[in-house]
Formats: sequence, C-alpha cells, structure tokens
Amino acid sequence: MTIAELIMDASEEAVGYSSDECLKCNVCVTVCPVARVTDLFPGPKYVGPQAQRFRTGHAQPVQVPGAPFMLSPDVTVDYCSGCGWCTSACPAGVKIAEMNSQSRARMKAGKRPKLRDWGLGQTDLVGQVGVLFSPIANWALANRPIRAIMETTVGIHRQAPFPKFGRRTLQSTWKRRQKRRGTTAAPGPDRAVVYFHGCSANYYEQHVADAAVEILRRNGFETIIPEQVCCGLPLISNGIYTDARQKAHRNLDVLAPYARQGYRIIGTSTSCTHTIKAEYREMLDLHDEDATVVANATWDICEFLLDLHEQGKLNTQFGRLDEDLPYHAPCQLRSHGIGLPAMDLFALVPGLRAADMDHDCCGIAGTYGMKKEKYPIGMAVGAPLFEKIKASNAPEAACDSETCRWQIEKATGTRTRHPIEILLDAYRAGDSERLAARGPLAPAGT
Amino acid sequence: MPSADVVVIGAGLAGLTAAIAAAESGARVHVLAKGHAATHWGPGGIDVAGIPAASTPRDGIRLLAGEAGHPYAFLGADVAAALDWIRPHLAAGGVEYVGDLDTPLQLAPTSIGGTRRAAILPAGQAAALSPWAAGERLVICGIAGFKDFWPEAIAASLARARVWDGGNRPASVTPISVVLPGLAGRHNLNALEIARRFDDPAWRTSAIEAMARAIAAAPGSGGRVAVPAVLGIRDHAAVLDAIGGKIPAATFEMPLVPPSVPGMRLYAALRAALIRAGGRVQIGEMIERIDRDGRAVTAVVSAAAARTYTVRAGALVLATGGIAGGGLVAERDGRLLEPLLGLPVEAPAADDWLAVDAFEPAGHPLEKAGIRTDAELRPVDADGTPVFENVRVAGSLLAGQRYIRDRCGDGVALASGWRAARSLSAVPAGRAAAPGSERP
Repeated sequence: MTIAELIMDASEEAVGYSSDECLKCNVCVTVCPVARVTDLFPGPKYVGPQAQRFRTGHAQPVQVPGAPFMLSPDVTVDYCSGCGWCTSACPAGVKIAEMNSQSRARMKAGKRPKLRDWGLGQTDLVGQVGVLFSPIANWALANRPIRAIMETTVGIHRQAPFPKFGRRTLQSTWKRRQKRRGTTAAPGPDRAVVYFHGCSANYYEQHVADAAVEILRRNGFETIIPEQVCCGLPLISNGIYTDARQKAHRNLDVLAPYARQGYRIIGTSTSCTHTIKAEYREMLDLHDEDATVVANATWDICEFLLDLHEQGKLNTQFGRLDEDLPYHAPCQLRSHGIGLPAMDLFALVPGLRAADMDHDCCGIAGTYGMKKEKYPIGMAVGAPLFEKIKASNAPEAACDSETCRWQIEKATGTRTRHPIEILLDAYRAGDSERLAARGPLAPAGT
Repeated sequence: MPSADVVVIGAGLAGLTAAIAAAESGARVHVLAKGHAATHWGPGGIDVAGIPAASTPRDGIRLLAGEAGHPYAFLGADVAAALDWIRPHLAAGGVEYVGDLDTPLQLAPTSIGGTRRAAILPAGQAAALSPWAAGERLVICGIAGFKDFWPEAIAASLARARVWDGGNRPASVTPISVVLPGLAGRHNLNALEIARRFDDPAWRTSAIEAMARAIAAAPGSGGRVAVPAVLGIRDHAAVLDAIGGKIPAATFEMPLVPPSVPGMRLYAALRAALIRAGGRVQIGEMIERIDRDGRAVTAVVSAAAARTYTVRAGALVLATGGIAGGGLVAERDGRLLEPLLGLPVEAPAADDWLAVDAFEPAGHPLEKAGIRTDAELRPVDADGTPVFENVRVAGSLLAGQRYIRDRCGDGVALASGWRAARSLSAVPAGRAAAPGSERP
C-alpha cells in the first residue's frame, strides 16, 4: 500500500478522525517532554489535531513558489519524538501521537529518506554489518574523530550513546547451542515460550537474552528462538512505513503459527513488544488475522512474569539484594498500559529498594536523541532524570528499554540494566543463600 | 495483576484528595485516570461557595446546605477539616493558599475582563482579593505576542461599574504590554512556554526588570498590577519572591484559558503528595469494565495494548467528574448514564435539558445531575439503599450541586475526597482486602 492509499485508508478514520474529539484544551501540550525544553516544537496539539484540517492538502494543493503543493504549513512535526505522552494525557481520547507519526510519514512520502534516517531505521543491516566487523566497528564508534566525521556527514551526534556490537549475533549463538545439544522437539505451549529478542539482544546485548532464557527456565519454560527480523519500529519512527510493513509481514509469517498453537511470544524490549501488540495494527494498518493472533500472544517479559505470579506460578526464590535501585519506566512501557510490572516484581525481592524515578522521558525516544539536531533536545528532556539518578548514588539503575538504558548510562555514568538482569541476580543470591544454609561448612550467622 | 486496597478513578482534585488521604491512612492506593483534565482546566483556586448571597465561604456552605439535595447537606461540616488537612500538602509542593472559610468573598477580576467571587486563592492570585481603597489603581500588564491575554480588552471591560456589581472597584484600569527578553517578534507564545521561562532564574531576573520598568512608566501605576498566570511552574514561589522585590505594587496573576498554569501547579503538588504517601498514579487508562461480586467491586480493568490491565481493588473511589469530565455520558435519547458501574443517575427529564438558556442565571438543570449517595458517599438507588458497599463517589459526579453557578466544586471535591477516604478506612480490614489478595 502506498502512503497516499494509507492516508485515505481506515487508519485515517481511527486516528485522524479522532481529532473530532479534540477540545483544544492543550493538556497534550502540558505533558509534551519536547515542548518542555525547546521552541522548535510548538507542541502536539498544534501539529496534530489542529493541523488535521490540512490533512487533505494533497487534494487541494496550495501553490507556493518552489513547491508544487503543501500538505501542511507546519513541518515541525518532525520534532515530535513519538513518546506518546500526549495520547496518554488527552482527556478526550484523541490519538495525537499516532496522528503525528502518520503526518511525518506523509511529509516524507515520495521523497528519498535522509541517509541517516534510513540507516537508523535499518537496524538489521547495521547490526549484521556491525557484528561482522565488530572489533573495527566498536573501535570506530568509540573514536572521536570518526564520530565527528559521522556527525558532519551522516548527522548522528558525536556524543550520542551507541552500544557495542556483540562478537556474534544471538541468532548464530543460539543455532550453535542447538546444534551442540542436538535437535529435540520443543515442548508444548505450557512448557515453552517463543522469544522475540529484537535487535538489541541480537546484535548488542546478548546478556539480556541470556538472562531471559535463564529466568524463563527457572520458571519452567523452555525458550524457542525462531528466525526473526527487526520489529520495524525504527522505520516507523523515521516515517518509512513501506519498509516497516515488510518487516512486520516477515515477523508475522514466522510468529503466527506459534501463536495459533498457543505459544506465548515474550520480548525483553518493551518497544518491540509494543510494536507487535499495537503498532502493526494501529500504525501499519495490518488488520489480518495473523496480526491479531500474534498481538494477542505477545507479552513484555515483566508483564508475563507478573502474570505468572498472579497465577501463583512464579518462582519467588529470590535472595536478598541489599541495594537502592533507581528505575525509569520507558515511554513505550506506558503505551502498553500495563502499569509498572518491573516495580511490582522488584517488590518481591527482599532488601531491594527500587524507586520509580517518576520522570516522563529519558530523551532518546528510540533513535530521536541520536540525531545531530535532536541530541541536545533529548539530553534536556532527560536532564531531571539524570540528576535524580546521580543524586541517588546507587551503583546501578534499571530500565526496560534498551535505547533508554544506553542514554541513561551515557548521561549518568551509572550502569543501567534490564529489570530481568536484576531479578536474575536475585535468583542467584537465593541459590547462594540456600547453598550456604545447607552447607556444613557455612559459617554461623550468615 | 497488581492489587490495591483503594483504587481511585479520576485524577482531579476529588480523586487525588481521596487518594492522598487513603494512602496516609496506610492503604495501598492506585489512581487510574483517562487523562488530565479538571486541574489543568481550572483556575487553581479553591472555590467553596462563591454565591452572591454569601458573605464568606462558610456562610455559603450554610446556605447551600439548606438547598434540597446539595452535597453540603452532609459534607458541609467536612470542608473546614479537609481544607486544613490539604494545605500543608500543597505548601510542601510549593503552592501556598491564602484565605479560609471566614475570609470575605470578594470579586476578583478575570482575564476576560469579568469578575468572579472568590475567597481562597493561591498566593500568586491573592492580591486580587483585598477591597479596593479609594483612589487605588490597577495596571493590566500583558506580554507582547501572547494571544491569551489582551490587556486593552480586559481594561476596557473592567472599567465598567456593572462588572463589579456596582460595588468597590479600582479607580482606574490601565493596559500596558511588555516585550519580554528573547520574545520580541514572537506571535505564537503560549502560557506554558512563558511560565517555563520564568522558572529560569537568569531569564526571570531580566523579565521582571522589563516588567518593572514598563509598569513604573505607565500613567496609571502606583496601585496594583495584574499579570497573566504565567509566573513559573516548578519555581513559582521563587518567581513571586523575585517580583515582590522588584515591582513596587501588589501583583496578582489572572488565570487564563487552558492549559491553566496555576492548575498545573496544583496538580503537581497533589501528585507529589500522593507519591510521598506511597500511592501510584497512572494516566492514560481507559477503563473497560469494573468487576464485581454481589454488592462489592473486586477489580478495575482498563484497556491495554492487545489485552486488558487489571488492578484488584479492595475498594473503589469514583471521581470521574460530571458531564464535562466524562463521568456522566449523555445518550441521544436523552438519558444520562454513569458509564463505568451503571449507577443510577439523578437527572432532569430530557425535556428540561433545553428548556432554559445554557447561561441561565438560575443555573442549568443539567448541572445538578449526578449520582445520589448516602452520607458515607456510597451510591444509592431510588430508595436510598446503597448499590455497592465498597464504592464511594467524590467530586462533581455527586448529584445536587451546581458547581458552575454556585462555585462550590472545589469545596465539594475536597470534602468528598477526604470523607470518602475516611469512610473507607473505617471499613474493617478484612473487607478492604480482595479475596486471596497479596502484595504482588
């Protein structure tokens, strides 16, 4: 489907027409993290519901010198970070963030995307090349002159947080392990889950995948890791819907048969799981049965573990972790509408003093804060969060989303981990405690 | 699925008051709200009873309590206690209020050039309230490029005696407009953007100097000064301090059209108090259904991506607002529904909806629509029997109040929120916990 078709399609009704409910009360502007720090973005109302009267601009072209027609006189919508706070705060149910994402796609439709925006969207390609040449790539990304050149030529800010590429992809590691163990039939959906690792665990943070696999095993679930591609969110965020739709179809083709058999699809990246749950249908207009069955089967890992707990099935043999743990809830988690499952899980760990930093956005918003012109905005958006985390003097922090972790770690110098890594620490502390209690040589009083 | 002793639906003044009070009494409190509204739309004062016949809020409560069916009939006595209790919470969030139930009601000038009857206002608006001395003048100080505040129009309107009900008023009203640093040539400023600039100490110093110079040069200066309500958000108290030292006149903020900066300060202070008390607030929750077991609510279910989100509830406070807030929904056939629990709604017959002018001085009959409760704020049916044991109704959803005409909405919200929390904390512990619930 072309963008032009998209404009006239059902999502226009679901998203664009929701502007009919807009009261012009400006509540969305009050919660916008970007408008909070810069004049470059006038706020979600102005570029969203207020600009909807221009949405058929392509049919009634406005002739201006140098441009054949104009969709909207306001191009500042590109400064929307897509955090989604406007949609959450709207008392009238207007889908403001979704509207702005579609406007961005329309604005960019028919033009060749900037190399930078295209590249930031191609997480699979970047990941595969990066992993292949990981020593060189990691050296280059840590090299100041090279980063300065990258900033000037490509437009990725020299200070932007960039993770280190892994030595190999999770997919290849997993295949090797499977080969070593020999192929065995996967257990049924009551004893196995499908893992959607996303790009971060595949190319950069295999330790998050390892933690997920071990935690799932400790709760009686084997892990199935089918071949998969990027969820497509970086493409959606950069307004490149056509490519995003291709990624979505490839994932749905793989995941739908599992979902139909009753397997749950567990992800460690809140943004990937949200994309599969909501954006395939809302943003990309995939309304076939595959999209629905996969969405319904998809769970954020903390949401899944908390649900196990609810059923009395969570392994709660957590040992003591005597530490302060600042926690940041990513914007995408809020869009899931599932509360703060990580905080609820942390409450089960003896001694762990987890504190929700209660801040709107860390500023990175996926790839937004990496861009040259948006990096200072992202840092200003996250500044109060960084101050709070630094002031806590905690040895580490926790956050469910990878780009947020990279941003927080870069800005604060505080090691920032996925909540399940903290939970794994707690399980291991529990192992040690039980071992010590059993061990004949255990010193008294420990 | 998390569980809470008290789930509050709605994050306006009533809902947050109930939530803070319940959290303070030791309950685990979870606030779910569709979005921001009441606080961000309102002027940020605490209107208890701004009726013309009343000399003070206390007098107003007495008069309203005598009206058939007004919530003050059973809540009136709680307003004073709730107000005393909430003040330190708000002050801790940087929002001090001036005035109490015995402060004479005065006409405060508004940013559309009218007046409103008020007694309890945030410190930044308080200078509007003292009676005008003979010869005392008023300067309306606008900001160049700011479209939500028109000093000339405000001044022209406030110069008319009838706006002041023929009573005490300023000797002259003079409009001026000031170009603030870095904002020359801007034509699309909004209140938030200016207020955020005032939070910056360096910017506000030069801005206040510019305002002081313009005010001193104005022909009508020497009396009081009205400015749009943009004097900082996070650091409002510091802005007031800085102004006090620079502008040699009593300065007061005039609340504006939404987004209301004073309302945002109020929300921030309430939210901070709730978090301090250990409560949780989730904004953006569209409630899909409320599970019940007989006459008890057991869980609140909201929409989530691809599934629903359930919070188990020991008790529920419904503070979803009136028609404007979505707490009541009008059907095309003329019925008013309470959409979450389907509670019986007390409403005028549909034929009466259009029988009067929407701005009828006696108040529109729809204003009084709402949920009838007993004195414990439990919703009741036509016979007065509670429909649910563990549900309390608070705020403008309560039937019998004309919160627009009588300016009683904040008093009702505070008193009902406070009473709802106290009433629930009196429920025996075994009842307040959902069956089989444990800390998730």
